[in-house]
Amino acid sequence: MLFFSFFKTLVDHEVTVELKNDIQIKGVLKSVDQYLNIKLENIQVLEEVKYPHLSAVKNVFIRGSVVRYVHLPAAAVDTTLLEDATRREAAQAAAKAKQG
Amino acid sequence: MENGDNEARDPSGFLTAIIGAPVTVKLNSGVVYKGELQSVDGYMNIALEQTKEYVDGRLHHTFGDAFIRGNNVMYISADS
Amino acid sequence: MSSPEGDAPSRPDEPLDLVRLCLDEIVFVKLRGDRQLSGRLHAYDSHCNLVLGDVTETIFVVDEEDDDDEVKAITRSHSEMLFVRGDSVVLISPKPQG
Repeated sequence: MLFFSFFKTLVDHEVTVELKNDIQIKGVLKSVDQYLNIKLENIQVLEEVKYPHLSAVKNVFIRGSVVRYVHLPAAAVDTTLLEDATRREAAQAAAKAKQG
Repeated sequence: MENGDNEARDPSGFLTAIIGAPVTVKLNSGVVYKGELQSVDGYMNIALEQTKEYVDGRLHHTFGDAFIRGNNVMYISADS
Repeated sequence: MSSPEGDAPSRPDEPLDLVRLCLDEIVFVKLRGDRQLSGRLHAYDSHCNLVLGDVTETIFVVDEEDDDDEVKAITRSHSEMLFVRGDSVVLISPKPQG
C-alpha cells in the first residue's frame, strides 16, 4: 500500500516510465492503482526514431508488471515523510507476520 | 546452534538450523554467493554477512551485508 | 506465513530488516539484466519496490565484436529520484560511504 499511496501523491506530475523492454515514456501521471498500473497523458517517447510505433499515441495505460523504473521529479518527493511511512509500513508488516 | 531436530521433514527447519553458519547460495542466473547466513524468510529472501560474489567461478565482488531477493534463489547449501 | 516456530517472541531478525537499516543510507542494488544502481534509499516495501535518490545506474553490455573473453561495454546514467519495481531486484547491500 505504501507505493500506491506514494504514487497517488504524484498525480499530475510529469514522470518518465522506463519499461523492461527499454522503451521510455514521458508523460503526466494521471492515475495509479494497487497493482501500480499507471495511466499517462500527453506522452512522448524518448528515442522516437528507435521506437516510432507510439508516435501517434497521446495517452497510455501501462501494466505495472512491465515497468522497470519510474523517474520522478525530486522536488515532488518529501524524502523524510517517505522514510517515516516506510518505517511504519515495515512495522505493520512485522506485526502482521507475528500474528499469522 | 548446531542442528534442528526435525530438519529431515521440514525444509524451513533446515534453513533455521543453519542460521549463523557459512553457506553457499546459487541464483538462477548462475551467480554464487558465499557468506554467513544471517536470516531467511518464507519467500527465501536471504540476508548474508561477509558476502563474496562469484561470477563464472571467479570472485567478482564482496559485500559486508547483502539482502538477496528470494525469487532469484536456486539453492542454499550449508558449507560445513 | 510459514515460519511460526512455536513461540519465538524475539525474532526480529528477518532479511528485510537489513534493508530497513539502509533507510536514508547509500545502497548498492543489483538488478536483472546486468544493471546495477547506487543511490540513497528513501523507501522500500516487501516486494522490494524501492525509491532511490541521486542514483547512478550502470549497465553492462556484452561486446561481441573485439575480444572473445566478453569485454563489457559500460553505460552510466543519472537520475535524481527513481522508483524501482521490486521484481527486477536481485540484491541490496549497504554501501561503505565514499
